[in-house]
Amino acid sequence: MTEKLVIMVTHGPGEPELATLPFVMAAAGVASDIDVVMGFQGAGCELVKKGVAETVKVPELTPIDDLLPMIQELGGKLLVCWPSLKSRGLAEEDLVEGAEIVAAARLVAEATSATSSLVY
Amino acid sequence: MTESNIQANTVLDARGLLCPMPVVKTAKAIKELEPGQVLKLIATDRGSIADIPAWAQTTGNELLEQHEEGDDLVFFVRKAQEA
Repeated sequence: MTEKLVIMVTHGPGEPELATLPFVMAAAGVASDIDVVMGFQGAGCELVKKGVAETVKVPELTPIDDLLPMIQELGGKLLVCWPSLKSRGLAEEDLVEGAEIVAAARLVAEATSATSSLVY
Repeated sequence: MTESNIQANTVLDARGLLCPMPVVKTAKAIKELEPGQVLKLIATDRGSIADIPAWAQTTGNELLEQHEEGDDLVFFVRKAQEA
């Protein structure tokens, strides 16, 4: 059985290290042939708004805008919480390509079917 | 340590890349190989010392050898037979 890792991302550009680390883990996950699902909630949603990832830089960490294409190319999924988006005035057209808008029950379904999960 | 005698089918230069990019690039490079073929990875991120063995264990690819040449970390990985 393929392992599945769900990574919840709740910190945004205001916390660059905590915002970047879940992308580091996701990239390591997809590289290890693990199914990776990233769930973005709260301020984490801002990271998948077009043009934002490029602005987040942390010394000694690979930047999000280098990691994100690798995560997507190797099959990682990006799920974005609809209420968190709405409260920030964001809509689907504001998001990076491939990000999928979901709500709580889908995130619960992903988490409960995962073999492991991480929360940042 | 000295140069290895292992023959690599391909060489991946990941020097200067930070965690987890050596692993990501290795994963991509190994997909291009046939089962049984060998990848030589050269990295400088010292996280790779622990990461490449962990990656090999998770993915079933075989880490044949790892050694250091100056600042370079050198790994030889044999691609697993198809499951």
